[in-house]
Amino acid sequence: MKHTVIRKTVRAFAETELGAIAHDIDQEARFPWEVIEKMRPLHFFGLQVPKEYGGADLDSISYAITIEELSRVCAAIGLCVTVHNSVGLYPILTFGTDEQKRRFLPRLAGGEIIGGFCITEANAGSDAGGVETHAVKDGDSYIINGTKIFVTNGAICGAPLIFAVTNPKSAKRGASVFIVEKTTPGFAVGEIEDLCGMRANPVSSLFLEDCRVPEENLLGKVGDGLKIGLAALDTGRLGIAAQALGIAQAAFEAAVRYSKERQQFKQAIASFQTIQNMLADMATEIDAGRLLLYRACAMKDALSPFSAEAAMAKLYCSTLATRVSGQAVQIHGGYGYSKEYDVERYYRDAKVTEIYEGTSEVQRMVIARSVLTRPS
Amino acid sequence: MAASKDKQSQRSIWVFGDYRNYFQNRVTLQLLSRATDLAGRIGARVCATVFGHEVDEYVGEYIAHGAHTVYVVDDSRIKDYNVDTYASLMVWLIRQHNPEIVLVGATTFGREFAPKVAKLLATGLTADCVGLDIDEEGLLVQTAPAFGGNLLAEIVTPARRPQMATVRPGVYREIPHNYHATGEVLRLSLPQDLPRPRVRLVSAERQVQREQRLEEARIVVCGGRGMGSLKRFRNLAELARLMGGEVGATRPVVYANWAGQDALVGQAGRHIKPQVLLAFGISGAIQHTAAITGADFIIAVNKNPGATMMKLADVAVVADANQTCLALIKELKKHLRG
Amino acid sequence: MNLVVCIKQVPAVSELPWDPQSGTLKRNLAEGMMNPACRHALEAALRLKEIHGGYITAISMGPPAAAEILHEALALGADKAVLLSDPKLAGGDTLATSYTLGRAIYKLCPDFDLVLCGCHTSDSETAQVGPQLCVELDIPGVANVEHLQVRGRTLIMRRLADNFLETLEMDLPGLVTVTTKQYLPRYASLGGLNEAFQSSEVRTLTAADLDLDGDKVGVAGSATRIRAVYAPQAAKENVVLKGAVKDIVEELFNRFGDRIAGAIGKDLNGRQ
Repeated sequence: MKHTVIRKTVRAFAETELGAIAHDIDQEARFPWEVIEKMRPLHFFGLQVPKEYGGADLDSISYAITIEELSRVCAAIGLCVTVHNSVGLYPILTFGTDEQKRRFLPRLAGGEIIGGFCITEANAGSDAGGVETHAVKDGDSYIINGTKIFVTNGAICGAPLIFAVTNPKSAKRGASVFIVEKTTPGFAVGEIEDLCGMRANPVSSLFLEDCRVPEENLLGKVGDGLKIGLAALDTGRLGIAAQALGIAQAAFEAAVRYSKERQQFKQAIASFQTIQNMLADMATEIDAGRLLLYRACAMKDALSPFSAEAAMAKLYCSTLATRVSGQAVQIHGGYGYSKEYDVERYYRDAKVTEIYEGTSEVQRMVIARSVLTRPS
Repeated sequence: MAASKDKQSQRSIWVFGDYRNYFQNRVTLQLLSRATDLAGRIGARVCATVFGHEVDEYVGEYIAHGAHTVYVVDDSRIKDYNVDTYASLMVWLIRQHNPEIVLVGATTFGREFAPKVAKLLATGLTADCVGLDIDEEGLLVQTAPAFGGNLLAEIVTPARRPQMATVRPGVYREIPHNYHATGEVLRLSLPQDLPRPRVRLVSAERQVQREQRLEEARIVVCGGRGMGSLKRFRNLAELARLMGGEVGATRPVVYANWAGQDALVGQAGRHIKPQVLLAFGISGAIQHTAAITGADFIIAVNKNPGATMMKLADVAVVADANQTCLALIKELKKHLRG
Repeated sequence: MNLVVCIKQVPAVSELPWDPQSGTLKRNLAEGMMNPACRHALEAALRLKEIHGGYITAISMGPPAAAEILHEALALGADKAVLLSDPKLAGGDTLATSYTLGRAIYKLCPDFDLVLCGCHTSDSETAQVGPQLCVELDIPGVANVEHLQVRGRTLIMRRLADNFLETLEMDLPGLVTVTTKQYLPRYASLGGLNEAFQSSEVRTLTAADLDLDGDKVGVAGSATRIRAVYAPQAAKENVVLKGAVKDIVEELFNRFGDRIAGAIGKDLNGRQ
């Protein structure tokens, strides 16, 4: 019953506050601060943060439901919230010292500052080992230099986590994660990217030029970068899967509605077997994806290792989002291609879910490794 | 069977005299008319009740519009409407005379007054009826709306008496004023043991006309999400202006700030009853359609022919809402210029 | 202040799941939601509690699924939530419902200061339970209140009734029904919802728990009976216009110009 009530509450909020503007903010690439303002007291920015730090302390399925329902109405905001919660905040919750948690969690959970996680660079996408941003110890601080690109929430994040090389000679244990407050001298935000989808999210580059960061802002130990990054991405994948599901669900509902109303050859197109087959496949896929996701969520909450399952959920849900939204456009025919209808936005938004937080190819690597290393 | 003024006929149908706002509020007269019809079918008298102070003009009116008997309680102590006081009086009278049926207009007062009377008498009450009839067994069949008027329910009160209903104003037409009608007027003194009112009226100001503009508009131009944007939504104001009408909006539009809360036409907003309603880009969610059941003639414009609003409309225009609005403006200007 | 809020779960539909063949409402397909006016009543109670301090008990009569809205009420700030659920209570009209709620309030919070209800429900829309509950509890009450203020033991209320803007007063204990015009409801926070399920509890009571008289509840205690429910026939002749916007507008004026002109009150020198 709890999950049902959470779903209904988030859905009501999303439809009321984001429903009427989702189309416009996508067109204008505008980040709706006025809605963020309303989300803050409702714990949207501290979904899995313990109560003592001002969060909602939700279980992972409730978290997934929240992201799904937000994304169903406005994927760009769903993205903002999931990136903030999973990769922007979760590492601090898991690897931070009590002091770091005290300094950052209340502000992050309250939405006072928005979080983000920066690995990707011009030469480092799937290959995190190609990261060139480096941090050099200087007295009691680190000097960080480098450029991060395609940072979700980039233009608005207050304390992004920066993945930087600290020991260039080491292969695996050479990177660390730093909490870099945007007020730090030497920190600059680049232009907001002009993207195909998720346009209301202010994705941008971040420039660090001789950025001096106190050693108290090092997350975990020197060399923990890879460990933290992988843990963050495992959780992040659940959020992205949820986001993809939300987009797919919205596209699917639009397709059902349209096929009941649209008449061709003197009947509703929903009476044609072709359309029915498409809708049946869409419904089944979405359900299967949701179950994959909830399974991974349950494993996470049970403290079982869940990397492979999270990767499966992310892989499957993002793939189905692209497919289902494409089908939805197809079912809408010419109208589906027009901005007068929402389906083309779902189609544009869906694609990137197969790319960020680990491309589908990387997800397959993770799953294959798990399959091959399991005792047979 | 003609209605009989025979005093020996014990059965009666009562109508509560809700005389406040007399010129706009004709519901009592409308109910007297319907009561006359129903009374004919069950061989009953039609009676009216009037409580207040210096109310003789209404007594005369009710007789002229169909009442055979009027029960009057005229006392300065009850000159202001008071739900509990009038409910006590009504119960006192009903217990003495046992009417078969009691009808009350579904004004705000009536809808608070009637339930209390019904509860005190432990009898049944149907709210906001849009239909009253007598079935083969002589029972009053009360037709009431549910789900914002999207459903109608037929309700009866099989055993308890009186059978009570509040009836929506405007459902029935009053009988024309009959100058020659006569009836008996029974004047009663305020009972001494009437409980003192526990709710005190501190002040009552008549509403400023301006705020009722939307509810009283003869033409309403209503817009929904299908208008597409704030800029386009504004075109509706021009159309409304040309037609001398008012602009209404659906809930998503109000939330998007394309229109203010006072333009909301919906269950949680204003209910309208225009002669002509133009609905642009509105899908027809029941929260909205509940508030437009009073519209006489609906023209819906939506590029989706299957939208609920299109099915409810008298004229369904399958076209882009904004373009149609602009074309209408152009055409109207031509017609009005001449 | 000791406040009691009566809330009801109603179908959450923007489209009725109406089955024209069986002539019935497929209520089980429709999800439930807290009746909008009840939400406003709860909001009014929450604001009174914020100003004056106190305790809110949320009560609902309904099937087990209605516990959902009681959890929501707890998440929003109610202190206690009680569900009156029993097959014997089903099918009751407002006479039976007001009896049941009244007995529950009498038993659970006999020292209440104020009972708040929504002005009407979005499904049955009778607006009768509030006034009848006043009679059941023998307390003064005012319906369709838009604004409330407490001064000592007096409640000052403002409302719009039949074109009159009224200010009324009554001494507590009393009852009000709240409209949807003011008291814009707050959203339940996610943390609040989580806690409402984790640590708080919705108490469920049956007719027996409340010592209810079997003849006064449910169908047995109802004076009215629903004989039929149907969707009103669209008596209108529905005209569909398609094609180029220019042509449509021309046709509109040709065929319905009179109608429109009549409403405008001007003569449209028509292209008739």
